[in-house]
Amino acid sequence: MSWRKTRIRITRTLATLASVVFLALLLLPSQAAAGLNIVATTSTLGALAREIGGDEAEVRVLAPPDRDAHYLDARPSFMAALRRADMLLEIGAGLEEGWLPAAQRGANNRAINSGQPGHFRSADMIELRRSITLDGPNMGHVHEEGNPHFNADPLRMAQIATALGERMGQLSPDHAAAFMERAERAADRLRNHAETLAEKVAPDQRIVVYHEDLDYLEEWLPVEIVGYLEPAPGIPPTARHLRSLVSDLEGTEGTILYAEFQPPRGAEFLERNLGWSSHAVPLDPPADSSLDGYLDLMTTWAQTLPQR
Amino acid sequence: MPRTPYTRPVLAGLTALTLAAPGAAAAQWSAGSEDSSWGVDVSLILEGIYFNELSHGNDSPAGFGDGHDHGHDHGHDHDHGFDDGFNMGHSELALNAQLGDLFDGVLILGFDDSDIEVEEAYLTTRALPGGFQVKAGKFLSNIGYINSRHPHDWDFVKRPLVNEYLFGDHGLHDTGVQATWIAPAEMYTQLGVELLQGDQDEGIAAFDSDLPVSSKSGPRVATAFAKFGPDLGADHAVQFGVSGGYVAQTGLAEEHGDHAHGLEGDAWFAGLDAVYKYSSGRAYGHGDWNLKGEYFYMRQSLDQYEGHEHHDHMDWERAGSLATKQDGLYLEGVYGFAPRWEAGLRTEALGLTNDAVEGSHHHGHDYFEVESMGTSYRHSAQVTFRPVEPVFLRAQLSQNDFVDDHGHRDRGLEFMLQLNVALGAHGAHRF
Repeated sequence: MSWRKTRIRITRTLATLASVVFLALLLLPSQAAAGLNIVATTSTLGALAREIGGDEAEVRVLAPPDRDAHYLDARPSFMAALRRADMLLEIGAGLEEGWLPAAQRGANNRAINSGQPGHFRSADMIELRRSITLDGPNMGHVHEEGNPHFNADPLRMAQIATALGERMGQLSPDHAAAFMERAERAADRLRNHAETLAEKVAPDQRIVVYHEDLDYLEEWLPVEIVGYLEPAPGIPPTARHLRSLVSDLEGTEGTILYAEFQPPRGAEFLERNLGWSSHAVPLDPPADSSLDGYLDLMTTWAQTLPQR
Repeated sequence: MPRTPYTRPVLAGLTALTLAAPGAAAAQWSAGSEDSSWGVDVSLILEGIYFNELSHGNDSPAGFGDGHDHGHDHGHDHDHGFDDGFNMGHSELALNAQLGDLFDGVLILGFDDSDIEVEEAYLTTRALPGGFQVKAGKFLSNIGYINSRHPHDWDFVKRPLVNEYLFGDHGLHDTGVQATWIAPAEMYTQLGVELLQGDQDEGIAAFDSDLPVSSKSGPRVATAFAKFGPDLGADHAVQFGVSGGYVAQTGLAEEHGDHAHGLEGDAWFAGLDAVYKYSSGRAYGHGDWNLKGEYFYMRQSLDQYEGHEHHDHMDWERAGSLATKQDGLYLEGVYGFAPRWEAGLRTEALGLTNDAVEGSHHHGHDYFEVESMGTSYRHSAQVTFRPVEPVFLRAQLSQNDFVDDHGHRDRGLEFMLQLNVALGAHGAHRF
């Protein structure tokens, strides 16, 4: 039967084509760059890895710094990056739970599996603040482990830098000493810069933030969080909630901070009704930053507040 | 690709590889025990649907009704046909656990008010070297785009016609083995193959055991797929897929008292799929776009058999052969027009090519023939509100524009209101 012959011919052609594609992909110059191939979920972690890795690491950041890292898609490009990674560097504690597990599973790369040395989960290295998601009604994600937005705390980032330097050294023992030295230096710079900035801020500042993503400012700046624009985490501001914030805070002084990707309307309402100044700030440094990018971001946060 | 004596050794080899390779390199390192991702995650998805048929059209599209797609409307309780008024919809209980970093185990039970069904029960390797992964068990095939997604992940209430009528009410969904490989390339490149038992009630791989031809032993379905996703930066993401499969045996039989007739043969299918997502960077999905489309084509080569009852058993004889060609496609787009609000449109065509099997009656004699039939369409519009992350409420209007086997076109209009709630540790979604 000629159809059977045709089919055999088609099958053979397809098989040949498939082998050619397979070989071509295998022989691609897949990792031209020497050193550790690190994929970081956020640009804050990317900045640390770049600082510690120097020329001995290639760092790729997945989450665009101007986006909410809770809500991303497990993009094909993420899986392609993770497929080639020696190390996955994540925040953890639920920040990336909506997309990272799917990307990790889809990457077919054992080196970055949970439990492998190539999987670095920052939340495991530090003490977390309690998350306010535990207080309210159970709506949306609940961060049982604690508040995952510790990228706003340079003191915790310093601890993470040290742990990261040690881990990178395990993966690349030839450079362990250099990694550890740069990690310690990065940790010192973070602590010193935090101290310098905190000294310049006028004491006893009160701030209103949008989500619990700037709570960690309390850990190193003389500020107190006195309210959230969201009525509950993940729920956009309602008129009723904003009015109750205004009546609670009327006659007091303070500052309103929110992330660049969050809608400004709630902050503007408070600004009009309380006379407080409001500022949209980045939560993470630019994607290709090294430590300097993060130090600049700390300055930006601190300088939205009244200075001494 | 006829079934060969190699199939079994290949399957056995794959299984051995799956089990042995990660074991050989068993976890020599372990993370802090506080890593919560090691236990069993349970999630419950509950759905309710209010359905109202505003006007009644043709029940099923020409060429996909009682022809080769035998058994589609036959006593299958779990067929997602809705009654006017309140319906349970499609609810799921999903369990997900890890065995160290060696395997993921997944069990998904689908249920409505009368049935519980094992939708998926499989193990996936997590530790094979070289970018390989093997999945074994009962699972949704990775052909196309929508086929491997569960209903709560869809942007419209109903399964696209092309998937429903080519592969069945649950899509191509079977027991078998899947192997995938991710290329170590800049562009996401996934290649995969599946061997499936071919134990289907509906669609292209359905086989009626009343036929005179003995059922071939499994696996009877083999598929292959490739997916590509170039990196387009922070705002845009795209994935293209091409897939196809071969069905070693498909067939149906019909009895009419003292005589019967049937069809038996093989089939193949091939399709293309694409998905594009735009992320505006604004909060709560405001300004985001999501576009996707799929096309599938299938052919069957069938032998016709006629049976006559003779001393309490059916004598069958072969009476010629038939070849069918059918296809279908859908295109859909969803836009986040306000924070937490989406609106979407979907257009579908089934049987653009529609050379389908038709039962005929001539001179007191029943037989099948291939007839060119018309194209059926369906158009849907939906608005979805997501008050909090795990909940959505969707209103959808669908116009069925089905042509029947005699070429008569009749339109029906349906309204659906869907409430879907995900409780518990709901896993991350794939792209």
